Amino acid sequence: MRIGTGEQERSLAMAALRGDSGAFRELYDAYRERIWTLVVYSIGDSLQAEDVLQTVFFKAFRGLRSFRFQSSLFTWLYRIARNECLNYQRRRNAAHVPLEAILGSNDEIDTTPISDGHEARRVILQNAVKQLPFKMRDVVVLKYLEGLSYEEMSRVLGCAPGTVASRLNRALAELEERLRPFRRLL
Amino acid sequence: MSCWRFYLRRKFVPYLEGSLPPGEAKRLEKHMLDCDRCRAMFARLRTGHQLAQQLRQFNPEGAQGAPEFEAMMADMGEIVTGRHRWARLWENWLYALTTPRVVQGLTALVLVLSALLVVSNRRVLFGERESVTVKRSALDFSNFHPLSIPEIRLNTQPHISTEGYVRDLHVDKEEGTVHFKLVEIPQGAGPFVVCEIISSIGMSLPREGSRVRVYGVARYDAQPGREWHEVNPVLNIAVLKH
Repeated sequence: MRIGTGEQERSLAMAALRGDSGAFRELYDAYRERIWTLVVYSIGDSLQAEDVLQTVFFKAFRGLRSFRFQSSLFTWLYRIARNECLNYQRRRNAAHVPLEAILGSNDEIDTTPISDGHEARRVILQNAVKQLPFKMRDVVVLKYLEGLSYEEMSRVLGCAPGTVASRLNRALAELEERLRPFRRLL
Repeated sequence: MSCWRFYLRRKFVPYLEGSLPPGEAKRLEKHMLDCDRCRAMFARLRTGHQLAQQLRQFNPEGAQGAPEFEAMMADMGEIVTGRHRWARLWENWLYALTTPRVVQGLTALVLVLSALLVVSNRRVLFGERESVTVKRSALDFSNFHPLSIPEIRLNTQPHISTEGYVRDLHVDKEEGTVHFKLVEIPQGAGPFVVCEIISSIGMSLPREGSRVRVYGVARYDAQPGREWHEVNPVLNIAVLKH
């Protein structure tokens, strides 16, 4: 469910601030999947992602009073989520794990049709995106999962549209290189 | 050969999506006919774009989605009402304090404070003697206790003045000091006091045989072979008779 206008967002946020749990629920339901997508792609582990998601909405609830609606609620939530994911990774000191270490070398992959090809493609693709550097992963998630334009992405990420375009190019080139051994499967 | 037309390369993805205006699309195609580098990059981006487009088919983590509102509020409700608020706050503070930047900042602060402590307490730490420099003109010699040479052996005052004849004058150029005996009788044996000038700046050095009055700090040298009274250091000399 997407909340239609800025006015709707504002009135829901004001109601949530007044203690209307129904309004807060509406806001949560409106944005949880989109924030969840970002968090899961950043954290990788869905159990930890739940914890991070809770922290994001907890901080959003606390910070709602000082939110001035100069950006959309989604932009604001996204930035909280992005910072929280960064903090999580710093704390956990996530080490880079090569995709091949997770899935084995190219020789080990059976290239004959497998019963659950859909699941195999999902794992390969999602892991490749999760292994991207943070800034590249951001643009891929925002572009291909959120469907944002360059201008919208630049507002969310706080950088120029040209920078967004350059980052996206690097991300796609990186993705192509990482997934080259698995092209026959994808 | 490198291509500097990075602004054209930024249009690759809009071109793939068909969202470039026709004029710009034609310009991009014309450039790629002539530029191997951009052609190769375009090919890679096209593959990456096609792969990324497949992401939409899948839920972020299999079939599992974000937790329902009730599940999230089960923990957060307690937080919102403050029951575990302090525990969470403490946890958040702890995490905030352990981020790399904060750690670097705190480390730098500790180093700076340590350096300041060492510098301000170097005398205590490294056993430096306090060196007090006092202007000779600032000393009030009228407060120095006047004694004759034989009376010095009964002296209990720290600052004294005494008169006598200079004998056995010796200048130690290496150490920059001047030693002489001050005697009551110019010739022959008799009571004496050893005087040492450690800084002759501002003082007129005595001559052998002259009669002088010295002002200084009374000491006793108890080393075997010495065992004599001293005025050390001499703080002032007044020549009474050459």
